[in-house]
Amino acid sequence: MFKWNLREIVVMSALAVVFAIVYLLFVQVGNVFAGLMGPIGYEPIFGIWFIVSIITAYIIRKPGAAFLSETIAAFIEVLIGNVNGPRLILSGMIQGLGAEAAFAATGWKRYSVWVLMAAGMGSSVFSFVWGYFVSGYAALSPQYVLAMFVIRLVSGAVLAGLLGKYVGDSLGRTGVLNGMALGKEMKRKKAA
Amino acid sequence: MRLHKLNPSIKALTVILLVFLLSFVFDPVTPLLYWLFIVVVTFSLGKVETRKWLLIFVPFLVVALGYVWTTAVFSNPPAGTELVTYWTIGPVEITNYGLSTGLALGLRVLCFAGLSLLFILTTDPVKFILSLVQQCKLPPKLAYGLLAGYRFLPLLTEEVKIIRHAHKVRGANRETGLKGKLFALKRYAIPLLASAIRKAERAAIAMESKGFTGGRSRTYYHQIHIQKQDWLFFGLMIGLFFLCVFVSMQLGTFRGYGDI
Repeated sequence: MFKWNLREIVVMSALAVVFAIVYLLFVQVGNVFAGLMGPIGYEPIFGIWFIVSIITAYIIRKPGAAFLSETIAAFIEVLIGNVNGPRLILSGMIQGLGAEAAFAATGWKRYSVWVLMAAGMGSSVFSFVWGYFVSGYAALSPQYVLAMFVIRLVSGAVLAGLLGKYVGDSLGRTGVLNGMALGKEMKRKKAA
Repeated sequence: MRLHKLNPSIKALTVILLVFLLSFVFDPVTPLLYWLFIVVVTFSLGKVETRKWLLIFVPFLVVALGYVWTTAVFSNPPAGTELVTYWTIGPVEITNYGLSTGLALGLRVLCFAGLSLLFILTTDPVKFILSLVQQCKLPPKLAYGLLAGYRFLPLLTEEVKIIRHAHKVRGANRETGLKGKLFALKRYAIPLLASAIRKAERAAIAMESKGFTGGRSRTYYHQIHIQKQDWLFFGLMIGLFFLCVFVSMQLGTFRGYGDI
């Protein structure tokens, strides 16, 4: 944590602010689906709620990036007024830990497409275990719960992992990341 | 005791703990009683506009309904439960077990929403962050970085306007169809993120040039304390929860995590 410089922290918060708004919009979308289809309505779009941890970890590449950014995004959602309130901070922490676990497994050294997708799936697994408890999935039939889990896993890999990498790369091409780990790597690759 | 004056960290802790406790309950009576208590506490101890409260709360009725019917249809009763079937719709049987568990989960959602509203409508965001630094040992470097980021929020709407104008000037605002809409989304998202990152870097440089080190040895303009009334609130909310559990047990309706 203390190896972070202030610039990285503020950049991370700014990203978290932008995605907190995106997350809030998707809560509305999700609520409509959930009203129509029950809890499974959230699953196809669940991955979008992990995207900030993938993007931040991909850009800053330091231990804690995935965990902190997701936690801050959740925190800012609460500040803006997400109706899920303080428990959302806990959900954010758990989702962030899931992604962080995948990055930790590579020693925070590799940020290939596969690692990013694995990180998205990590968030899926962690958040599902938490949801199983809080939303009382134990009362639902096992097949239904399994279907929910598989959809969330795919959503995490695609909407968080792939889309996150795409956003990170697009940002890198604009040149604003020249001071960040991703921008530096892109420069090295260009020079080589 | 006024909800607005309570320590934000203790208030948040109370709400999170209650979410945990409520997650162990699987009968409809306990959450229904507790929800009533939440509403009473919100309006008697906090200055909350009824209209604002309803505006945020009502959509949750829809979500709760989603939980009720899904659980009623896809419930998984443990072996040996006495089932009474109310309706049969094709292959689907709505039983007393499914319906009551569904109501329990739906009411749980309403309790969560009520607790959240109690928190967000009575808490000042900046005080919450400062309280986390002073009471929960959040590193000041992170906290003030976060506050700086939070300040960009109103600027973002401004930024979206600028990007829209820039697009219009170049006549690039005419995508139709799903593919065009998705492309347009990217055309907004990337410049928006890029400008947010630029602003963040500038803010960080400004903070550092004014001598912000992020160290813990600093003074605070707003001092936030924990008082007796904070623990009183904590005790009250937890106490009310166990009162609801007790009443439900007396009525013979209580079902917990082990009974499903």
